[in-house]
Amino acid sequence: MKFTIRARLATAAMATILTTVPAYAEDLNVILFGMPYTYGLAELEDDFEAATGLTANIEVVGQDVFENRITLSFTGKTGDIDVVHTPVIQVQRWVEAGWLHPVTDGVNGMDTKDDILAGPLDAYLVKGDYWALPFFAETGMMSYRKDVLANAGYDHAPTTWAELLEVAKAVNSDDVAAFAMRAAPGQGFNMFVFPMIMRAYGGKFFADYPNDLTPAINSPETLEALNLYIDLINNYGPPGAGNFNFSEVAAAMQAGKIAMFVDGTSIVAQSLDPEKSQVLEHMAIAAVPEGPAGRSPAIAVHGLGIPADAPDPEVSFKFIEWATSEETLAKIALAQPFPDFTRASVAANPEVIAKYESINPDFLNLRVEMLNDAIGHYRPLLPQWPQIGAAVGEHINAAVNGLESPEEALAAAEAEMAELLAE
Amino acid sequence: MRKPKRKNAFSWKQAAGVTMMLVFLVFALLPIIWAFILALRPENRLFEPIWESPTALTLSNIPKLADSGFPKALFNSFVTASVSTALAVVIGVPGGFALAKGRSSRKFLASWALLLLRMAPPVGFVIPLFILYLKIGFLDTWWGLIGAYMVLTLPLVVWSSWTSLSQIPDELIEAALLDGATMGQTLRRVVIPAARPGLVATSVLAFLLSWNDFFFALIITRSDTVTAPVAIMNFVSYASVDWGSIAIASIVLTLPTVPVIVFANKYIVQSMGGAVKG
Repeated sequence: MKFTIRARLATAAMATILTTVPAYAEDLNVILFGMPYTYGLAELEDDFEAATGLTANIEVVGQDVFENRITLSFTGKTGDIDVVHTPVIQVQRWVEAGWLHPVTDGVNGMDTKDDILAGPLDAYLVKGDYWALPFFAETGMMSYRKDVLANAGYDHAPTTWAELLEVAKAVNSDDVAAFAMRAAPGQGFNMFVFPMIMRAYGGKFFADYPNDLTPAINSPETLEALNLYIDLINNYGPPGAGNFNFSEVAAAMQAGKIAMFVDGTSIVAQSLDPEKSQVLEHMAIAAVPEGPAGRSPAIAVHGLGIPADAPDPEVSFKFIEWATSEETLAKIALAQPFPDFTRASVAANPEVIAKYESINPDFLNLRVEMLNDAIGHYRPLLPQWPQIGAAVGEHINAAVNGLESPEEALAAAEAEMAELLAE
Repeated sequence: MRKPKRKNAFSWKQAAGVTMMLVFLVFALLPIIWAFILALRPENRLFEPIWESPTALTLSNIPKLADSGFPKALFNSFVTASVSTALAVVIGVPGGFALAKGRSSRKFLASWALLLLRMAPPVGFVIPLFILYLKIGFLDTWWGLIGAYMVLTLPLVVWSSWTSLSQIPDELIEAALLDGATMGQTLRRVVIPAARPGLVATSVLAFLLSWNDFFFALIITRSDTVTAPVAIMNFVSYASVDWGSIAIASIVLTLPTVPVIVFANKYIVQSMGGAVKG
């Protein structure tokens, strides 16, 4: 068989390409999902090698890709992941399933343990062991347009949910809707924000968490909160607000289409982004409003853990220690939009303070204030919570969109919680 | 005097047909049009109706996409889809020829085995492949992904070429053999050229099968060999969804298939109508 010159060239090119594929052979394989901290960490691979002499393949993927990869790896006990992104909301389930390796000895042996914010660290304390080190602690905050509120005669942000409704009635217009909040169903979507209202009105998920886990969401307090949430979204929100998620809320605020929103600090920070906001000069931030039962800002904590089947947990911990160190967190806080760091020393770093004060002078202080008000079990720390949160979120969204009445939604949510707990 | 009826008058039936076709066309193209609009809109105008700010357009998503890991993922897609298609054709066409013209008594068994491979859900292959690759160090390599894609493409190529090559008259093959050609020469110089439309159509389908794959790549690639369909998902992050990049990446992912299909269109049509007149 005669090869033409073109065929030979093509074969040679193909052989060259296929034999030069890099091997999957770094000392450590780290899998994370995309957020400013993880993007920043992936840029610092060389720093890790310089500090420890070890190489790491830091892979940052989308959240869906992440879920698939880790589920396959954990259930198949494949040992191909050395360090895994560990959201606190998943840690109970992962510990229950035996998917994580404890890091208690490593944490207790750290000289700088006291520098880590106690709340986020203790969120990883399950059954007497630490299961991850936190790198991210997000809390709730309000972002609002001073100019719109001032035009209606308000010189400050509403401090209670009832006042927020009053302000919403006064400022709502065809051009600028008064309010938006995540409403799309999901444990991390509407169920990240709705409990801020529910708890402020005295509502709760369980009779007496963690001692009595009888579902108790179907209460007059939660009903009052749900009615307020529905009223705000349906009557004072922009078109389509009944299914808004965080990206639509942030985009609406950046475009100046809403006057107020309450969300996590990572979303509120986007409303202050000079490159994205069209109404930056009018933006201000404030505390999460209170209710008759007080204030309950949302909290979300993310950390780094070690899979149970990781080949060398000691080496994995070396990476985690480096990745959550003061130096690394400060570098990322300066390089990325990342004000949600978990070390007191980073909060005291003059360069970090200067960077975030230039964006908004109140941001860092308000964040600390909200973190202090937040309760660790804002979303209950239970192995079944991801499923329960998703189920309750569906009913809350159904109530917002008129598919169920608020009373029906809460009754159905409570019944489904009981079913999931009984499984 | 009655006006003579025009022979080619545009009837209501035709009008209804054209209207229906246009409606379907718009319906089918709407996601693509929407993707183009999203790709050209600045981030802070994404959720605004286009008529409110029709001139707010930007090309900034293009350099942003170029700076991301997407071009590398696109290259990975191209290499793995091309090589797996080429190998599947090189191995599968002689297999299809043997089944079409050979005198094996096990053709029935072969046809069932091929159908089974075509119909089995990918998850049935991907888990064993993942564990095997993990053990032998094939995870996150081009060869690993090419091997996995051949699980999809090889049965398709064998099955389709079996059908195409069955239409070649036996007399043509016998004449070549009588003229002194070997079986290999007969296949290369007589059978394949005669069955070209069907084989080109098969190659195109095999290429698109690998090119559009998400599931295999999701499981057995990592950062080095991730393919474009998986890389698109990486634009969804914890606190933001990069709709502009997703839109432009989707368009870029679709573009290479357009010339392939346009080029192969006549062959696909011919293959549907029968390759060689007997």
